[in-house]
Amino acid sequence: MKKIHNILKKYKKNIETFISYFLVILSILLFIFYIASSSSSDFKLYLILDDYGNLIFQGFLNTIIISFLVLIGSSILGFLFYLMSTSKIRFFSSYLKAFTNVFTEIIYGTPLLVLIVVSAFVIGPAFGIYQRDLFGVLALIIYMSPYVKNVFKAAFSTISKEQYMAMDLFGFTSYQKYRYLIIPQVIRALMPPMMNNFSLIIKGSALLYVLSFNELYYTIIIAQSKTFAFVEGYLLMWALYLIITIPLSQLTKILEKRWSNL
Amino acid sequence: MKIDLRNLSHSYDVKVLNDINFNLKGYKSIAIIGISGSGKSTLLRLLSGLETPTKGKVFINDNDVLLSSYKKSIGFIFQNHNLFPHLSLLENITIILEKTRGHKKDDAIQIAKKYLDLLKLSDQYNKSPRNVSGGQAQRASIARALSLNPEIIFMDEPTASLDPILTYEVLSAVEDLKVLGKNFVFVTHVLSFVRDFADYIIFMEKGKILEHGKPDILDNPKTFSLKEFMKKVK
Repeated sequence: MKKIHNILKKYKKNIETFISYFLVILSILLFIFYIASSSSSDFKLYLILDDYGNLIFQGFLNTIIISFLVLIGSSILGFLFYLMSTSKIRFFSSYLKAFTNVFTEIIYGTPLLVLIVVSAFVIGPAFGIYQRDLFGVLALIIYMSPYVKNVFKAAFSTISKEQYMAMDLFGFTSYQKYRYLIIPQVIRALMPPMMNNFSLIIKGSALLYVLSFNELYYTIIIAQSKTFAFVEGYLLMWALYLIITIPLSQLTKILEKRWSNL
Repeated sequence: MKIDLRNLSHSYDVKVLNDINFNLKGYKSIAIIGISGSGKSTLLRLLSGLETPTKGKVFINDNDVLLSSYKKSIGFIFQNHNLFPHLSLLENITIILEKTRGHKKDDAIQIAKKYLDLLKLSDQYNKSPRNVSGGQAQRASIARALSLNPEIIFMDEPTASLDPILTYEVLSAVEDLKVLGKNFVFVTHVLSFVRDFADYIIFMEKGKILEHGKPDILDNPKTFSLKEFMKKVK
């Protein structure tokens, strides 16, 4: 009897949570429904999807692909910055540290939009390169790299000085240390913040529309300008971004929970 | 065992050990005591070759402690268990046996289990260090040190981060190891353990060895500092 009572108690809590989330999502949907219905014309999603569905899907894919590229690029650059900030090469190391510090300050102080236009319209042309897309993506990579550097710093600092001492004491070779002890720990610490960064990149990539880059935001703007379905376009755009970012943040939470007790 | 310290000095930002010359022979269980900041943990780390002294030399049983062959002949038990957090208690031992001591996998598992059993951890093999109590983790780290069959075991305040019950649990496990006939060098604040376990005591103050001798120096301290120390820890 007591067992049943406990199970019921547990279910009660789950049901409460479920109903709460259900109500919150319902109220947001109602809010969106209100917005959609109060626009001057009828809400007709097919207006935009019939002729421009393919284009928008292409933009959606491009957003994901570009974000992946930026994630990889900024991971490499961020790791280099991390190495530079911890370098122990004589004389040179203080220059490298100063460089990463100044660089980080500049990036932290620059709006992403400004960095993108300056890269594509000023820095690129200064070197005789007019590939705006390329410089837009580079701007995103550069913008993310100081954040990635900090992620690496935090991940490596989870391994204590005593652990390194122990590794030496037990007689692990450098390769063995990294292969079996350091990298497995660092990856666990890296994954959740890296996925947050991925989410930041996806959101930031919308700004590439100023370069007429064929990503989600831009393709929807195009579809809107041809069909005049503005309300439909903006709401669709919003929903499509959430379709990428919300599962990502949920996955991050799951990973964090699973790895927190490893 | 035989300890030989020659002009040993060590500094981090400030000087921690100050020109120590010291010889000792024929004891098996040596306790290093003193107040916090007296340099006892540093001395232990230099004796174990974990850190390189700024000046001077350390010889244990006529071996230079900085040689890698010496490092493979000792065990070190840290203040905080210092197990690798991403590996289970069993894997924490087997990975060392397999990768650095050339044991086969089955062989390594057998040895690891033997020592975990000895430290009464038979039902915790596959648990992560974060999912066992502090006392169990510390006992697992003792099992890890023992499994490498060391000649000397160093312990740096092995119970500093444990509550009194777990402290008792760990120290009584260590006392049971006396039968193994190993050499021990340890730093601790638990004087009852020093009395029970040590056969020689080194008292440190301000980076120097101030007084040393058999355990009865605790009852008849010669120096004022050790007298004061004994009053305080009581």
